[in-house]
Amino acid sequence: MDKLKLEILTPNGLIFDGEAVSVTLPGEEGEFGVLAHHSSLSTLLEAGVIDIEKEDKSVESILINWGVVNVDEEKAIVLVEGAVAIRGETESAIASALEEAKELISSIADSNPAIAHATARIESAAQRLI
Amino acid sequence: MANLKDIQRQIKSVSNTQKTTRAMKLVSTAKLRRAEELARRSRLYADKMNQVIAEIAGRIKCSKIGGIDNRCFAEIENPKMVDIVFVTADKGLCGGFNIQTIKAVKKLIKEYKDKNVKVRLRGIGKKGVEFFKYNEVELFDSVVDLSSKPEKVRADDFIATSIEDYKDGKIDGLHIIYNGFKNMMTQELHVSKILPVDTEQFECGETQSSMLEIEAQDEEHMLDSLVNRYVEYAMYYALIDSVAAEHSSRMQAMDTATNNAKDMVKGLKVKFNKARQAAITTELIEIISGVESMK
Repeated sequence: MDKLKLEILTPNGLIFDGEAVSVTLPGEEGEFGVLAHHSSLSTLLEAGVIDIEKEDKSVESILINWGVVNVDEEKAIVLVEGAVAIRGETESAIASALEEAKELISSIADSNPAIAHATARIESAAQRLI
Repeated sequence: MANLKDIQRQIKSVSNTQKTTRAMKLVSTAKLRRAEELARRSRLYADKMNQVIAEIAGRIKCSKIGGIDNRCFAEIENPKMVDIVFVTADKGLCGGFNIQTIKAVKKLIKEYKDKNVKVRLRGIGKKGVEFFKYNEVELFDSVVDLSSKPEKVRADDFIATSIEDYKDGKIDGLHIIYNGFKNMMTQELHVSKILPVDTEQFECGETQSSMLEIEAQDEEHMLDSLVNRYVEYAMYYALIDSVAAEHSSRMQAMDTATNNAKDMVKGLKVKFNKARQAAITTELIEIISGVESMK
């Protein structure tokens, strides 16, 4: 299966740089997926979870609070403001990532209905890892 | 001899100072490495951010008659008031680091005053804030513990006032002045005009054939959202770059101080030995002349 190159950048540096089979992004007008050879697109992202499906079928989830994505045929570049990757080797590492993610969520104004959705999503992402 | 003791005391005091300055240098070296690394990683984001903004702004500029309909990208002909945000360190002992920034701020204020434009000064960093307070220059607001520990959230909060006022038309420009990191030895003063964004730099890129059509209205909404982030990020980057520069400047200043102390101790030791020799000679002469007189 074709892969696309994905880069996720925060003001504090690169947090994801690699290849993915597909990536699901929380667009401002709804969630959308990007596969390799997607047509060019730039759009804003809102608070939510980025799901990255890798070659080995594993899924990595990254929580973001705002972002903008620039997709062209070969790669997708995602600029985000705050991000927490929900991953870890041990259970405690995952738990602490989860805590961090919740903190990030609570720092965003809770008027947004996407937040509740994002909270539920990170919970399930963590569940999957454990 | 009292003189000998004086010199000895002086030697001790200078070498104590030397110890302090050397320790400060080492601390700065360690901190510099971390700060520099952060600034370097962050630069990646800046590049991509500029790229995205340039792409979208370029597209709107070229496809729409009348250019970009956003105050942040408009040329303002008769500015009435501008914001100047400066970043200095919270601590001294770093050579000309702070004073360079202060000088640049004063110069810019004067330039605007000559043009009859009001200046609203906003300060970050204890040293600069103290300077302007002492010289009775009015500061609109200030924060004192942000420049030593840059935090994205607090930087955003601080600069948000300027962005809002700019969009509301209360101010007509925004400058950020800070001393940035160039390399281990040199710092580079940045006086950057953040708002309005210079549209000259945006070129009409060739629209790729596969480019998905985005509604013009949508693009403008996107640009509006992006420009906020762009300014916020410019502020944050100024802070982290300034921290790196501060540490490199302090490292250098402390290195010079350590070397000076070393030279001083060396000079004092020579002086001490001479004085000791003189004392011995005098004593000897006294004994010999005493013996001579007994004969």
